[in-house]
Amino acid sequence: MPAIDPGKPRIEAMRDGDRRIIIRTVNLKKRYVMKGIVTEALRGVNVEMATGELIVVMGPSGSGKSTFFNMVGGLDSPTSGRVFIDEVDVAQLTATELAFLRCRKIGYVFQSYNLITCMTALENVTTPMIFAGVGPDEARERGMSLLELVGLKDRWFHRPIEMSGGQQQRVAIARALANQPAILLCDEPTANLDHKTGMEILRTLQRLNKERGVTIICATHDHRMMDMCDRLLWIRDGRIERVARRDEVHVSIGSIDGK
Amino acid sequence: MKTVDIREQPRLSFGRTVRLTLNGIRYRLFRAAVTVVVVGVATAFLTNILSESVIRRSVARKTRDRMEEMRRGALWATRLSSSRTLEGILTAIADAGPEDPIYRETARMGALTQEEMPSFQRGARKAAAYLSFFSDLDYARLRALVKTSRGLAIFDRLGDEAEMERFAASLRGLRAVRFVTSLEEFQAFIRDWPAIEARARRVQEGYGAAIAKIQASLGERSVLRALTDAAGEFGEAIREAGLILDRETAGQVADQARRLLQKQFLEQSIAIAGLRKEIGSRLDILPTEVTADRLWRVLGSEEGASWYLEKLKKAEDRGWVAPFAPDSPPLDASRVVRLARREKEERALMRAERIQAGDAGGILGLGERMSWLLFVSMLVCGVGITNAMLMSVTARFREIATLKCLGALDGFIMLMFVLEACLLGAVGGGVGAGVGVLIGGGRMLVAFGGLVFRSAPLTDLLICCAIAVVLGVILAAAASVYPSLKASALAPMEAMRIE
Repeated sequence: MPAIDPGKPRIEAMRDGDRRIIIRTVNLKKRYVMKGIVTEALRGVNVEMATGELIVVMGPSGSGKSTFFNMVGGLDSPTSGRVFIDEVDVAQLTATELAFLRCRKIGYVFQSYNLITCMTALENVTTPMIFAGVGPDEARERGMSLLELVGLKDRWFHRPIEMSGGQQQRVAIARALANQPAILLCDEPTANLDHKTGMEILRTLQRLNKERGVTIICATHDHRMMDMCDRLLWIRDGRIERVARRDEVHVSIGSIDGK
Repeated sequence: MKTVDIREQPRLSFGRTVRLTLNGIRYRLFRAAVTVVVVGVATAFLTNILSESVIRRSVARKTRDRMEEMRRGALWATRLSSSRTLEGILTAIADAGPEDPIYRETARMGALTQEEMPSFQRGARKAAAYLSFFSDLDYARLRALVKTSRGLAIFDRLGDEAEMERFAASLRGLRAVRFVTSLEEFQAFIRDWPAIEARARRVQEGYGAAIAKIQASLGERSVLRALTDAAGEFGEAIREAGLILDRETAGQVADQARRLLQKQFLEQSIAIAGLRKEIGSRLDILPTEVTADRLWRVLGSEEGASWYLEKLKKAEDRGWVAPFAPDSPPLDASRVVRLARREKEERALMRAERIQAGDAGGILGLGERMSWLLFVSMLVCGVGITNAMLMSVTARFREIATLKCLGALDGFIMLMFVLEACLLGAVGGGVGAGVGVLIGGGRMLVAFGGLVFRSAPLTDLLICCAIAVVLGVILAAAASVYPSLKASALAPMEAMRIE
């Protein structure tokens, strides 16, 4: 095992050119075998995503959307095909390097929140910071400011069971932003939020995307998100059905209050 | 534009890990409590058994020593009034070391030289071992092996070739009987037996002559009365006859002889109807119900003792009782009270001896049955702990997956679980140890009474507690290793899928 030297990265990221491909999948395939029944979740997916893009992934349930997310985020390994994050093959990373990736470079927002029930909201948000080696005081400060960002500053000491679904979702989003990741993977981030809160979250995400260049990949049915995005991806039956840029697609946004 | 540099994830400091683990326990207090209780029960049982055994052994040691002391007088009385049996001689010399007085005595009695003694002792040791084997055997097996012979007669019987063959054949036929040594050794012993027996007889004759000489010097006195002079002339007579009696033992023997005589006098006095009636009316019972026990209870207090002595004096005046020869120390109330107290102590010791009769064999002298029980119960509790830990780990797969998504290392997950198990095991072990020692001590108090305090083996008990706690930790940790290994090796998505 090479000695850990936080100063020098083991694999240098490419720096030539401002915009480059941050996520690339090559012929991604995934099959599950459960009790003798073989399910092909992904049947050869090829995508390229550039830095600073906001990509919306759409598809019916069972289309392999969640599986695709897991692959891209390094949470699961494909049966065949490759995933390159910043031209680094994820399959070739050691366990500790994968942990580093998940901790600091990729933020996850799950559909089922996946908060740790025995911790308070603040502790949930600061856990990734602790894993990244941040000191407890700084972690607490940053955690509180993140909670303020999502509008839950007064509930920092509540546990997940004491919060509504929407509030838990917001804590999950705050947690995903804990270590200022380069890539944000969101699975239905605004599904359980009301109009106003949803709008706030969306505005935050948009700001992150435009001002800090965070690549955001969302699976959502929210039309407002579709309105903000750069590209749309349709997945059906484990394959990319259609890829389109925002301006090629007509998105109409209705509203209840006429705004 | 943000760049993605891939580096190694640094490991979390131990302190942080501990804090996160404690957090987890605090939240899941109920489930953690279940594990603690299981570990606690196991360790309580273990410490209970261990502490009882430890206390028992120390009480036994003290009892044995004390009993030996207290019985010396009576022992000497029997030694001087009856002749030694061959069996007695052999068993006595078998356990003795060359420094023991019995060694020198036996050599002197049997006129055995320095060279002859060691081989005689070896033979005696073997004889004692074989004798004890035969005496422990049940009737059916004994009959099958040696028909109706018992004791030393067995050796005589097996001296015949045909009988030995029969014995060997039956021994081989009997299963579940483990002979003391190999058959060849036994046969060699039987061949040597006539020589050993001859030597033992010489010793016996020597003793017979010595005792005859001592008895001649008794005169009109009973042995017991003579022994009151053991520190003086009578002691000299004993030594001249060839028996070994050092000054210190002589003093003790004399004291005890005096005490025994006085005790006997008091106990025999209740044979007189008049005195019985007095005691009966004092205790409000029928005269026929007056026993030595009850008498000692009355004599236990100053007031009771002086009351009874008065009655005795009156009885003496009326001629019902022969007066007790004046003696030193004189038989007054305080002496009587002291005698009563000694009597009580002796009874407690005898009771203790009886309780310990079944303690032999097994681990730490716990007894075969107890060792087996202990082993089985530890096994069952170990399985229970494993089950509790497995449930705990299985129910937290989702949490593990989430932590991995946030950047936890595999080692961290493992450490977290094993740490939690160790902590719970330590707590459970500590509580269980405390409870077990209390219960064990309590039971021993009930069984042995005050004897326990005199011989309280505190350091041993503490060691028992420490062992139990360590065992608790090891049990819990070992039980959690396998499931946590499995948990930490999962890819995050797989773990989530299981949910």
